[in-house]
Amino acid sequence: MALCAKKRPPEEERRARANDREYNEKFQYASNCIKTSKYNILTFLPVNLFEQFQEVANTYFLFLLILQLIPQISSLSWFTTIVPLVLVLTITAVKDATDDYFRHKSDNQVNNRQSQVLINGILQQEQWMNVCVGDIIKLENNQFVAADLLLLSSSEPHGLCYIETAELDGETNMKVRQAIPVTSELGDISKLAKFDGEVICEPPNNKLDKFSGTLYWKENKFPLSNQNMLLRGCVLRNTEWCFGLVIFAGPDTKLMQNSGRTKFKRTSIDRLMNTLVLWIFGFLVCMGVILAIGNAIWEHEVGTRFQVYLPWDEAVDSAFFSGFLSFWSYIIILNTVVPISLYVRYVPSLPWGFSRESGGPIELLFSMKMKSLRSNLKSSSSCDVFDVLGHKAELGERPEPVDFSFNPLADKKFLFWDPSLLEAVKIGDPHTHEFFRLLSLCHTVMSEEKNEGELYYKAQSPDEGALVTAARNFGFVFRSRTPKTITVHEMGTAITYQLLAILDFNNIRKRMSVIVRNPEGKIRLYCKGADTILLDRLHHSTQELLNTTMDHLNEYAGEGLRTLVLAYKDLDEEYYEEWAERRLQASLAQDSREDRLASIYEEVENDMMLLGATAIEDKLQQGVPETIALLTLANIKIWVLTGDKQETAVNIGYSCKMLTDDMTEVFIVTGHTVLEVREELRKAREKMMDSSRSVGNGFTYQEKLSSSKLTSVLEAVAGEYALVINGHSLAHALEADMELEFLETACACKAVICCRVTPLQKAQVVELVKKYKKAVTLAIGDGANDVSMIKTAHIGVGISGQEGIQAVLASDYSFSQFKFLQRLLLVHGRWSYLRMCKFLCYFFYKNFAFTMVHFWFGFFCGFSAQTVYDQYFITLYNIVYTSLPVLAMGVFDQDVPEQRSMEYPKLYEPGQLNLLFNKREFFICIAQGIYTSVLMFFIPYGVFADATRDDGTQLADYQSFAVTVATSLVIVVSVQIGLDTGYWTAINHFFIWGSLAVYFAILFAMHSNGLFDMFPNQFRFVGNAQNTLAQPTVWLTIVLTTVVCIMPVVAFRFLRLNLKPDLSDTVRYTQLVRKKQKAQHRCMRRVGRTGSRRSGYAFSHQEGFGELIMSGKNMRLSSLALSSFTTRSSSSWIESLRRKKSDSASSPSGGADKPLKG
Amino acid sequence: MEERPQHRLSRLPDNSALKQQELPAHRLYFTARRVLFVFFTTGIFCLCMGIILILSARSTQEIEINYTRICANCAKLRENASNFDKECTCSIPFYLSGKMMVGYVYMYYKLYGFYQNLYRYVRSRSNRQQLVGKDTKAVEDCAPFKTSDNKTPIVPCGAIANSMFNDTIILLHNINSSVQIKVPMLKSGLMWWTDKYVRFQNPSSKNLADEFRGTTKPPNWPKPVYDLDKKDPRNNGFLNDDFIVWMRAAAFPTFKTQYGRLNRTHRFIEGLPAGNYSFNITYNFPVTRFHGEKSVVLSTLTWYGGNSLFLGLAYTVTGAITWLASFAMMAIHIMLKNKKMSFFHQ
Repeated sequence: MALCAKKRPPEEERRARANDREYNEKFQYASNCIKTSKYNILTFLPVNLFEQFQEVANTYFLFLLILQLIPQISSLSWFTTIVPLVLVLTITAVKDATDDYFRHKSDNQVNNRQSQVLINGILQQEQWMNVCVGDIIKLENNQFVAADLLLLSSSEPHGLCYIETAELDGETNMKVRQAIPVTSELGDISKLAKFDGEVICEPPNNKLDKFSGTLYWKENKFPLSNQNMLLRGCVLRNTEWCFGLVIFAGPDTKLMQNSGRTKFKRTSIDRLMNTLVLWIFGFLVCMGVILAIGNAIWEHEVGTRFQVYLPWDEAVDSAFFSGFLSFWSYIIILNTVVPISLYVRYVPSLPWGFSRESGGPIELLFSMKMKSLRSNLKSSSSCDVFDVLGHKAELGERPEPVDFSFNPLADKKFLFWDPSLLEAVKIGDPHTHEFFRLLSLCHTVMSEEKNEGELYYKAQSPDEGALVTAARNFGFVFRSRTPKTITVHEMGTAITYQLLAILDFNNIRKRMSVIVRNPEGKIRLYCKGADTILLDRLHHSTQELLNTTMDHLNEYAGEGLRTLVLAYKDLDEEYYEEWAERRLQASLAQDSREDRLASIYEEVENDMMLLGATAIEDKLQQGVPETIALLTLANIKIWVLTGDKQETAVNIGYSCKMLTDDMTEVFIVTGHTVLEVREELRKAREKMMDSSRSVGNGFTYQEKLSSSKLTSVLEAVAGEYALVINGHSLAHALEADMELEFLETACACKAVICCRVTPLQKAQVVELVKKYKKAVTLAIGDGANDVSMIKTAHIGVGISGQEGIQAVLASDYSFSQFKFLQRLLLVHGRWSYLRMCKFLCYFFYKNFAFTMVHFWFGFFCGFSAQTVYDQYFITLYNIVYTSLPVLAMGVFDQDVPEQRSMEYPKLYEPGQLNLLFNKREFFICIAQGIYTSVLMFFIPYGVFADATRDDGTQLADYQSFAVTVATSLVIVVSVQIGLDTGYWTAINHFFIWGSLAVYFAILFAMHSNGLFDMFPNQFRFVGNAQNTLAQPTVWLTIVLTTVVCIMPVVAFRFLRLNLKPDLSDTVRYTQLVRKKQKAQHRCMRRVGRTGSRRSGYAFSHQEGFGELIMSGKNMRLSSLALSSFTTRSSSSWIESLRRKKSDSASSPSGGADKPLKG
Repeated sequence: MEERPQHRLSRLPDNSALKQQELPAHRLYFTARRVLFVFFTTGIFCLCMGIILILSARSTQEIEINYTRICANCAKLRENASNFDKECTCSIPFYLSGKMMVGYVYMYYKLYGFYQNLYRYVRSRSNRQQLVGKDTKAVEDCAPFKTSDNKTPIVPCGAIANSMFNDTIILLHNINSSVQIKVPMLKSGLMWWTDKYVRFQNPSSKNLADEFRGTTKPPNWPKPVYDLDKKDPRNNGFLNDDFIVWMRAAAFPTFKTQYGRLNRTHRFIEGLPAGNYSFNITYNFPVTRFHGEKSVVLSTLTWYGGNSLFLGLAYTVTGAITWLASFAMMAIHIMLKNKKMSFFHQ
């Protein structure tokens, strides 16, 4: 890949001229071709091998291989090392190759997507990869944007276009982009072909919400901002077509600039393993030194005299040098204690095995934006509840949904289960009618009617869409709107209301109203809004109704529904005139316009009559609260990092039980400056301290602050707290001098929610936790904006869902629903951790038992680096005789059934505390291995030393000894894996018995006459197997060794089970007893749904489209009253929107986007 | 949003028991009943086995005579390599007391401190050379005894062959002070079938001396390989019994290797009767130079071979400990169970 990337000097600025490829080529901008693959056919082998040899374990093996080539040192045949090495390299290479193949495939697929490019005045189909900077391309509805484009014109009026940026920043609500006025007229191809503007702008960067540049055209300058840009990864919505000028292509696009590099993820086991491997290495060197000293002494004392029979090698001139050589020889022989890292890295991640990463005991969970907790809201309307005047509509599933067939305009997808409400509508109950009339009038939804009766609603928030759809199905069909009118089909008859004003939603008001004049000329205000706000503004005459409604509202909220209260008010003509006049004045005011408007709105939205309430089920994905509750029980801390607004985030926090009313306090940090944020964090800590001090743990606050163990003190805080922090505050909190303070505060809280967080901040937060806390982190998310976080966390989980597959591609695991996380962690993660630990323990054990025998033998063979076993046995021991059973255990083992591990989340804790594999466990394994090796050597030694075969010949020949020790070793480690395997599937049986069978088969084959006849010098053990294994003494030795090696292990386990059983043991044995008694187990209790009352509009992220509608900007030009409107509200809606947004204050608002008259 | 591609369907994992980790399986539990049962039975098995083995081992008889020091003058002679052609014999009388050695009696030589298990020693041999039809000059693995100084290949090459034990031991039965009869010893049946018929083969030609022309004898050998046994021409070349036995290198520096077995004829049909015997040893093999020792061993066998007490003792001890452990474990288990029961009853 280094070959094809042209080295370009960093760009200072970017220049791109439309329709002038030659000019743009000068700058050698990156093409739109994206390359994520690493190799091609030619480079694969060298590059891949180079990468693999960067792995320490592989280099170590290479080093051993080189050592083995020195004849004076070589104590093993070269193949004992090269066979495993080649095997590992091949497996890895094949895996890398397949991965890269799929990357190539996906690159190809993306690069070959078609787009329409304007070349030489004609629209041509081009592949994405051939799109260049400066090209003008045409996009159609629902198409992905191919590169970062400057929007030139669109099918919508005023060059407006709607995009969905889910892939980019994860927000699913639609956003509006507008072309600058001069280009928005370039609607047809001939005009566009002549367009030769030049854009000069910032160099490529990864800021998704900033863009600054200038368009030079016809000797005029037009400032450009992010409002004019369509970024790669967006999807065009509700816009038939649009044209854009490519500014950044391929790797320069903001999407690609945002995708970070994958970092190697290390879990705590990895870290521990590294330490252990170092220790083992030290141990290896120690053994080497001991044996080398032994060799030097032996050669000095005995070897010199033994030279009659075995002269020293020519190269050896002293006992000391001989000792030096024997050190290296022993390093080669004993290397099998080390390779763990090598095998461990690959073996468990073979097929179905959950790779060990998920085994990491997770202590912190970062959740994505909340939205991914919610299922697709498009279908959420199925659970609406309408509470008309206290007549509570029944909730819950009925066998038959209400039949809306009477209404030709009904949306078929809408389901409702309470027929009584429909009856009320049909009978003509005026209240019910008014209720639905309100729903069909009071909103900012746009409608689109492609064919007669085929209505499409473009709602800015899904809730609104759902409510309007509900009204539509009940016979109050919102048909169309103009800036001044709303047309509604009420029970089949079209009625046009005159729209007088939209009192739009915002976060403070938490309500919206419309003022309409009905055909009879009566002016009425319809209002819907959050219950807390609205209930205070009702007319006191409705008190009784209010109480009933309140009760119902509480009930709904308890069910986890989001509620809205609906009310109306009649206005008389004079009052309205006077009010409208004042409103106009206020809206024209230069300073504090917002406040003035708000107070005027407030004035009219008063003394309203209650109509009823709606409740919309927060269509959280199934099982989200349960999952979160379970994970909390399992001691996993959950942090939510979301791009959503604070209100939304807090709302969902409640609905998914992260925040509860039982919490002592929820701290909300919204400071805009460093000082404010610091102060807020300090206060939060102080409060937590106070409460914990009142609980009484002695320290005073000052002491705590000064003590370096601030964190641990804070972690012992009594009571449950939650922290909600805003993106702009987070930016300060993440600065170097405050990050620790923030982390400590956050860690003391049960739940942490960060809202309005940028993708980069998400990664920073995860990084922060990784840096200071030794916790294992898991990040879960579904959008492209979660990618950085997913990549940074130890474990990244992608939810494959509505927001594309970027997150899935970047993740280690992916699934389709949040609730599967509990299975991933509590069942599979736990199993996987358990398996990993057992696997590691067994691996250390079996290799030590195998290798240390050489060490003992060294004392009897003059430290000459003679191995105990046949070289083929050494080669095959790890890769054939003992690998598959432990692999089967690593893949299939379970200690408790999965239902139990869900039932007892506490079972997850040993993992977090690293109880199953830590230094202590490691030493136990090592000790067991060494113990086994001692018996494995000395029992046969004791037997062989003086015994003879049953035909009177010598028994203690080297080859028979080798076969005896090897056989008993294979049998002992097989029995041991049998004991370690808690869950014997057919595959375990097959592998364990199979390994033993294969051992004997290979043994007999290697010792056969045929092989010896062919290669007499390679197969020296001819006839050994049948001669040795026919001896009763040999079998008696093997049986004795096995008994002595295994019995203490069984006794130890039995005693631990009796004296110090851990939770999983208890669960296991309870299970056993239960099974015996055939008692029925109880089902898990559902997590109770108690929650505070939360009001609707949670998902209205921004101010509604109210102003946009009233300005008529987005209406077709056919709208009659348009001209008068545009002149009146000369302050454009975009500008006013901008003024409200604090972050866009910096962007230049030139005269360029002054609307032109259509 | 409506036309989401259904890409997930194709990647749906198989709903097989294997992939869902729901394979039917047997869960392994260390229940008290099972563990204690295993312990008790293992204990009984080991104890019985141990007693049987000890009793068997005690039924055997063994005589070992270390002749390193008894033949000190010969040892001294051999320390000087230049005396290799001087013969030195040495006679060691001994009395076989009590009862006779019943049945098959085996004669061994036992070497102390002779390292046949050194890495370079073990490897220093050429199986290729000692196979029929293969190259007698194939000495590549035989360092440091590949070739003689004038580059002629050594046959048989290698350190193992070179260091072959070459004492001659003759057992004499002294019926009375004047009459000695040689106890008949057999060399046959003292090696593995595979060694004799697979591993070692002589070149096919009748005249071995011709076949081995152009080669030389190992430096320590007094005679070339085709001239080892003057009496029995078939016992020459690579098929010499002593040679084959020696080539099976021992695992430990102290080892005993079969030398002969009693030919049970005439007087010796029941075994070796009690009485006076003597070993007549032609002392060729120097051991004092490396501070080694050598002895000659006469021994009878049990059903499982040699007379090692170790195995029997080890079994007995293991059995006893296992039994004790199982009682201790049972006690602990019952104690805890009672405690738990009383806890539940409260």
